[in-house]
Amino acid sequence: MVLPVLALFLAMTIYPFGFMIWASFRDYDLSKSAETHFIGLSNYFQIFRDSTAIESMKFTAKLLSIAVPVELVLGVLIAFLIRGVKGEKIIRSSLLIPMMIPPAVSGVAWKMLYNFAFGPVNWFLSLFGVPKISWLGDPFYAQLGIIIIDVWQWTPFIFLMIYAGLQSIPQDLIDAARVDGADWGRVFLHVEFPLLRPLILVALVLRIIDCLKTFDIVFMTTWGGPGSATHTYSFYIYKVGISFGWNIGYASALSVLLLIVAIVLVNVVFRLVRMRQQLGFGGEE
Amino acid sequence: MKKILTIVRYILIAICLIFFLFPVYWLVITAFKPSDEWFTMPPRFFPTKPTLANFFGAKETEVFGGTTGSIENIFPYLRNSIVVGVSVALIGTVISALAAYAIARYRVGGPFLAEWIISIRMLPPIVSAVPLYVIFTKLRLINTWWALILSHLVIVVPLGVWLLISFFREIPREIDEAAYVDGATPFQAFFYVVLPLSAPGLAAVAVLSLIQSWGEFLLALVLTNDARAQTLPIFLGRYITGWRVAWGPLSAAGIVTMLPVVVFALVAQRYLIRGLTSER
Repeated sequence: MVLPVLALFLAMTIYPFGFMIWASFRDYDLSKSAETHFIGLSNYFQIFRDSTAIESMKFTAKLLSIAVPVELVLGVLIAFLIRGVKGEKIIRSSLLIPMMIPPAVSGVAWKMLYNFAFGPVNWFLSLFGVPKISWLGDPFYAQLGIIIIDVWQWTPFIFLMIYAGLQSIPQDLIDAARVDGADWGRVFLHVEFPLLRPLILVALVLRIIDCLKTFDIVFMTTWGGPGSATHTYSFYIYKVGISFGWNIGYASALSVLLLIVAIVLVNVVFRLVRMRQQLGFGGEE
Repeated sequence: MKKILTIVRYILIAICLIFFLFPVYWLVITAFKPSDEWFTMPPRFFPTKPTLANFFGAKETEVFGGTTGSIENIFPYLRNSIVVGVSVALIGTVISALAAYAIARYRVGGPFLAEWIISIRMLPPIVSAVPLYVIFTKLRLINTWWALILSHLVIVVPLGVWLLISFFREIPREIDEAAYVDGATPFQAFFYVVLPLSAPGLAAVAVLSLIQSWGEFLLALVLTNDARAQTLPIFLGRYITGWRVAWGPLSAAGIVTMLPVVVFALVAQRYLIRGLTSER
């Protein structure tokens, strides 16, 4: 019964990964010639001499270190903010909408919002006397712009996880703490936060993993520009391997590096969610 | 004091709602604006002359290189999205169910197999996109529905297996065993006893698979190159370049791309919450 899955995954992952590793040691460039030679590690050495590759790593790191923490804090705050208010269900569903929208559509919407001359964002800022900002044309603001879109699209995901976690905390636990004289802050710090902590960790690592995939939004809004300011690592691989370069060998070397990072992260997630227990394999606890 | 806090709370909620909903609102109203209202300062927050021209095509939108206008142009992409999405949902649910049942009941492959399947979901798609491009070119599968169906299955099946393992584990083993006593083979037990009982789980997996396939961008971008197989998100991507984009028709296409998923996702919300935080 597992045969269909095995067949699918062997054909669609093992084989491509094998191909990728093989190609990463060769001068496999579709724009040059069909002949390829073994060239050892030089594709890998090239990464460290390639300023765009370094820049794409830096921007990906910025996304990870700015967008993800902001999403985490906002998500937790919003979960607490709407708990128990009137119309909670409608508000909750509305707040989830951004994460349900295909990122390509979000890209269209935000590209309109960021428009230099006619965009609502610049109009809104002008009410406060802020001069027009070239959101997608200036390196600093383009990076900030992508970060804002990422926060907009993925805070709902964190919110959803934390909110679901809050629902599962038994109310009598909170009531008991209240009876013992704990105020709002203490209940959060000593009752809710410790119970939510594993969930927050999982949300964090899942977001980090997904952040490495950031592609559609960049493609739809800035196309990596201006210059190479908003290249994410995934977007750079796409440019090297498909859209500009056809340099399959170099793109494969870049991919192998990303794959290693992703595999390390996946293992961290599995430890955090106690994957084996969840799947029902051993581990009595 | 308490009253002030409540007011502050509602104001904060209102700000959140505006931040998270305004971009969607903007997309929706732009789709109903005639072309002279796309580029105005201050922007029009309500279309004064709402129109359906952006959906059905009109002469005026062609001024802006607006081949995006009209449902006729979207139709092939909509068709591709539907064919690929529905196939992925059906095939994905079937093979996820088979694998999940074997893992949940018979522990086939042990924890390693289960973890391996699920870990595939977490790998960045760009990693397999380049090799798949090369391989599918050799197999002459580039720009076909099959290229997309196969590659989307790889994204969809791991989540399906994960959800269904926990679903099958909640169905008591005694029910299968009763079927064996009555002389059923394991496959019959699965097909006639377990599957009907897990219908809600299967439905959730099918809906989630459809949603993921519908919105997938990178693989569709790499593995297809024209209206024969490209899906709706790629259609949007093609028309967003250039300095004066036909915003109205593009927004209308955006609505067509977004609406089915948002509706499905809101319906499947409960399962989503459960899937993400299962067994907690």
